[in-house]
Amino acid sequence: MEAISISPHIKRKANGKISIKTGNKSERVMKWTISTLTLLTIMAFLFFNYDGLDLAKAIPETAYNLKVMFLEPGLSHFTWGAAFYQVGITLGLAFLSTILGAVIAFFLALMAATNLSNKWISKTVRIFVAIVRAVPTVLWVLIFAIAAGLGSEAAILGMLFHSIAYLVKAFSEAFEEVDKGIMEALKATGASWWHIVTHAVVPSTFTYLLSWTFLRFEINFSVAVAMGAAAGAGGIGFELFMASGFYFDMREVGLITYMILLLAIILELMSTRLKNRYFPATAK
Amino acid sequence: MSLVRVENLGKSYNAQTKVLKDVSFNVEAGEFVSIIGPSGAGKSTLLRCINRMVEIDEGNVVFDGQDVGSLNKKELRKMRTNIGMIFQHYNLVPRLSVIENVLHGRFGYKTTLEGILGKFTEDEKEQAFYLLKKLGIEDHAYKRCDQLSGGQQQRVGIARALIQDPKIVLCDEPIASLDPNASKVIMDYLKSITMELNITCIVNLHQVEIARDYSDRIIGLSKGGIVFDGSSYKLTTDSTDLIYGTTTPKVQKRQLVTV
Ligand SMILES: Nc1ncnc2c1ncn2[C@@H]1O[C@H](COP(=O)(O)OP(=O)(O)O)[C@@H](O)[C@H]1O
Ligand SMILES: [Mg+2]
Repeated sequence: MEAISISPHIKRKANGKISIKTGNKSERVMKWTISTLTLLTIMAFLFFNYDGLDLAKAIPETAYNLKVMFLEPGLSHFTWGAAFYQVGITLGLAFLSTILGAVIAFFLALMAATNLSNKWISKTVRIFVAIVRAVPTVLWVLIFAIAAGLGSEAAILGMLFHSIAYLVKAFSEAFEEVDKGIMEALKATGASWWHIVTHAVVPSTFTYLLSWTFLRFEINFSVAVAMGAAAGAGGIGFELFMASGFYFDMREVGLITYMILLLAIILELMSTRLKNRYFPATAK
Repeated sequence: MSLVRVENLGKSYNAQTKVLKDVSFNVEAGEFVSIIGPSGAGKSTLLRCINRMVEIDEGNVVFDGQDVGSLNKKELRKMRTNIGMIFQHYNLVPRLSVIENVLHGRFGYKTTLEGILGKFTEDEKEQAFYLLKKLGIEDHAYKRCDQLSGGQQQRVGIARALIQDPKIVLCDEPIASLDPNASKVIMDYLKSITMELNITCIVNLHQVEIARDYSDRIIGLSKGGIVFDGSSYKLTTDSTDLIYGTTTPKVQKRQLVTV
């Protein structure tokens, strides 16, 4: 026992008790970050400009607006048919950018996965993708709007760009999880790189690829709503923007919000169903 | 002429340690050779130098008259079709069916496009079923591999190696994850590959008894060098001590104390 308690491997706290935390840098950084952020939040509330804010009036007015919006929804500026058509456009934007993005991301992810590619190609693709991902989708849409003009083309290109970057990261991480032994076994039979990709890597990761793609579709749907307004890409987002910012029609805003909510729920249910039906193994 | 000639083979993964040092031996066609040695001795590395799954640093490996180290990519693929390989963890694609996994052994003979599309001839499929039948797992052909027991999965691994129509089969600890019964079944199948099909087998093992029971010849590897090479009946306790390092109870006890 004597020999153990003076071992140089044991870390001790200031009071001499044995520490079981690794005490490394990342732990300390995390602690500092959280305390700093908490402090900043509290300070922010103290420094807000509260002039002209009359809480006694503001709260009931907001409550009234919300009441009209969500308890008395209705259409006045366009028909049900048009509303569904606009929802269709938004879904179309999301669908196109997701599917195209997934296909392109698949090939880029093969280049980015360290176990399938060489070091330099992998690094290059990773850095490129990280930069693309760091810029928000809206900015990409606006950047593409310079060339394509504001509208659905710019929206799709921008969403596509960001989807690719997002999916390359997700896909390549899935590829890297593939058992090295499986790939070694196929390589040892004389199989080529493409054989290994199509018959070992893809079957092993297919459920992940599909889940990530569907998740991205859900994200792209909400982005497409926002882009409809911000980039004039049309669709239900644009109608929402018109209803709230142009006509100040609370009832229409309420109805459109309900439609979007309903669709989001349907998408969520579909993705769960899809996973349970075809991939019971991953649903566990 | 020997099927495999290993001449002064040296290998290191990094500058500090040499995993294999000046290893030389020949294997004749139709031989059943076991390589034994403690873990970390370099058994797996040695096996992977034969089909160049790892690059050869020093010396030569000559397989069937070809210098393995000097082959280009295409020639290497072609050579690998002649070498089957069997692994401790079977290394099957778990989500695919047994029959699909067996047919993976034919990729070496396919063009890129044929392989991607999974185009296999009727002959190849019949051969796959024939092998599964010989190995006693024909009724599992359409099951997913992850539903099979370890022993059954290893038999799929053997079928995948045999459908390559190989001249040699390299086995890296084929029974290390199996219970004694399944181990016996697998070793019996490996032995029959050599006896009936005249396919050479090199098997990495860490069980000395099994190596002695099954092989014609044993190579003892210790710290990357060959310390024994001869008929299995010549393997004495002295030579196993040499291979594994002396392990008397006294030494073990002292080690426990220092831990
Ligand atoms: N890919 C690798 N990279 C670096 N070192 C390795 C690699 N593979 C094996 N080694 C090292 O080489 C030595 C021999 O390993 P191995 O051939 O697997 O021995 P064995 O199969 O006899 O247990 C070990 O010390 C191991 O750590
Ligand atoms: Mg090994």
